[in-house]
Amino acid sequence: ITSYILTNIFNESCFFNTKCVSGTSMEKNITLDSATIIELSCRLDNKYSHLKSLQVTWKRGNETIRHIDKTENSWSIQMKILDSSKLGSYSCILKGEEEISAIFYLQVPKIEGKEKPIVSYEGDSAIMICKSSGYTPIAWTWYKINGSEQTAVPLDFEGYVINSVSANVTHLKILKLTKEDDGVYWCEAAFELGRSKGNLKLKVLSLMVPLKPFLAIVAEVVILVTIVFLYEMYSKKKEKCAEDEKEFDQIEQL
Amino acid sequence: MSPPVPSDLGYVPPDGGWGWAVVFGASVSVGFAYTFPKAFTIYFKELQDFFGTSYGEIAWVSSITLATTYGAGPISSILVNRYGSRPVVIFGGLLCGIGMISAAFCTSILQLYICVGFITGFGLALNLQPSVIIIGKYFLKRRPIANGLAMAGSPVMLCTLAPLNQFLFDNFGWRGSFLILGAILLNCCVAGALFRPIRAAPASVKPQNKTEEEGGKDCCEKINQYLDFSLFKHRGFLIYLIGNVLMFLGFFAPIVFLAPYAKHIGIDEYSAAFLLSILAIVDMIARPTTGIIANSKWVRPRIQYFFSFSIAFNGTCHLLCPLASGYTGLVVYSIFFGLAFGMVCAMLFETLMDLVGAARFTSAVGLVTIAECCTILLGPPIGGELFPLMDFNHLSASDRFKAVPKIKIGLFWMAWFEISKGKDPQRSMLTILNLQQGLQSSEDKWAH
Repeated sequence: ITSYILTNIFNESCFFNTKCVSGTSMEKNITLDSATIIELSCRLDNKYSHLKSLQVTWKRGNETIRHIDKTENSWSIQMKILDSSKLGSYSCILKGEEEISAIFYLQVPKIEGKEKPIVSYEGDSAIMICKSSGYTPIAWTWYKINGSEQTAVPLDFEGYVINSVSANVTHLKILKLTKEDDGVYWCEAAFELGRSKGNLKLKVLSLMVPLKPFLAIVAEVVILVTIVFLYEMYSKKKEKCAEDEKEFDQIEQL
Repeated sequence: MSPPVPSDLGYVPPDGGWGWAVVFGASVSVGFAYTFPKAFTIYFKELQDFFGTSYGEIAWVSSITLATTYGAGPISSILVNRYGSRPVVIFGGLLCGIGMISAAFCTSILQLYICVGFITGFGLALNLQPSVIIIGKYFLKRRPIANGLAMAGSPVMLCTLAPLNQFLFDNFGWRGSFLILGAILLNCCVAGALFRPIRAAPASVKPQNKTEEEGGKDCCEKINQYLDFSLFKHRGFLIYLIGNVLMFLGFFAPIVFLAPYAKHIGIDEYSAAFLLSILAIVDMIARPTTGIIANSKWVRPRIQYFFSFSIAFNGTCHLLCPLASGYTGLVVYSIFFGLAFGMVCAMLFETLMDLVGAARFTSAVGLVTIAECCTILLGPPIGGELFPLMDFNHLSASDRFKAVPKIKIGLFWMAWFEISKGKDPQRSMLTILNLQQGLQSSEDKWAH
């Protein structure tokens, strides 16, 4: 059994001052990938144990769950989590002068996709990688989001290579990219308790795109080099003219 | 009575005028040469994923570039001795451009090693050495300032290249970025165009020797024409060489380890990256400032002492690093480190020029860089190896490691001067006197 405890430290003024507007609310994220038994507890800090008039309820959505009073100031629930229907948010609500709640979010592991789009070119290949940190999924599936439609298309045909370097990592390699390959991709990891998605974006550019700045910079280099050399020839001529004039003056003096 | 010619160039350098354009070109060249391998690391993750290799294999690209840039030093020197700075830098710029453009079409990691590593690395080598050499040809009286300004190109370029690389990568992917970087590197040709040859091209000094060459000269003497191996008999040069080689073992390691160390003690990624930015900005200001200080009439004759002081300062800075607690401590460390780093870099080539004279500097710089090549490559990996071994008190003792060689070197330099003065006071005093006289005479000339 794995136990998760949230200790509430209530704002004192909320109990003694009726003008207090809102109580404190605490949250905790719990990641589960396989079936397990867990215990969630809400505990009131010892300072406030003298406050007896507390009504404690455990709820999931609107449904109330029976809880156990473990000690004088902690209340807990125990559950078997066997499938995705048991996941979600569980809250314990303490009603005193004000209502304070603590929420546990039970969820499947998150998958890292990539925030920044992967940029590649037509005719080139691209690799998209998804990682599951810490938890090993049972299976990986890749989807491409088609244009404006939200329908996912599973990818297991030619031109796509799906590799798994290790159980936690999956690679999707697309050979010979075309414009149609541009868009959003999902990598979905299947766990015992549900599925989890990672988001990736692929941008396919034509070769003309980087060519424009490239040619602009090359042109700039050529222009600058020409200017430097022309200036040099010009200043050399000026020097020569000045020297010739000096000689001319000297000859005149004689 | 005319005073002796201060330099062994055979003419009085202009110390200004077109020289400032040359300094600008040199700073661009030097900037590209030093910062390109560092800024290139942004592409590693993507390249690693694309080619399906390990991080080590990708990191080799940067290592090969660095090794080629330093290792090709003597070749660069030989070419400059023969053809002068300008053609070499322009050719170097073209090589860099071609290297990166071909890298954009690579289909294997081996091709990347060749295109980015060897070709671009060699092009950068052909940029670095000639830029430093030509400063010695254009400046004497104001040479420390010129050197300081030229070396300031490195942090300026780092501050521009790093975000630029990130921007290019986000918008064009790695292939497009390489293509555009190739074009950007072609700007080295512009820098090269600014390197107007002064007096006659150095090749014209050698025509008599050329004909003798055909007459079947001794092979060693022939090599000596292009690369002055007699430098190895010069005691000052040998000390500089050994000192530098040892110093570079620990010189760059702190920069490599600063961000990981910051993350190790719990600082977030962006603040850790900001430490490096602070370092770069302080470095940027420190280099020209050091140049100005080194040029003053109190420091110039004792520039070697100033150099040893800055190395020792560097080492002390690192030794005190473990005392830095928390983020503010590290910020202070970064500021001092930036200062010390800038001071050393600004005077790195100036002291060598001062030691061997501008005429032999061409060969000297080539020989020094190839020696530094090995230790530069070994430094960070050795530091990385020592990290787990010395991790006592949960402090990153790689920092302590970094400090040790540098303190050693600083003391080494200082010790040299005491010894050098004791052993051969006449020679060192003579050089200093010559320089002072030379400065005096050129000052008199300016006065008229």
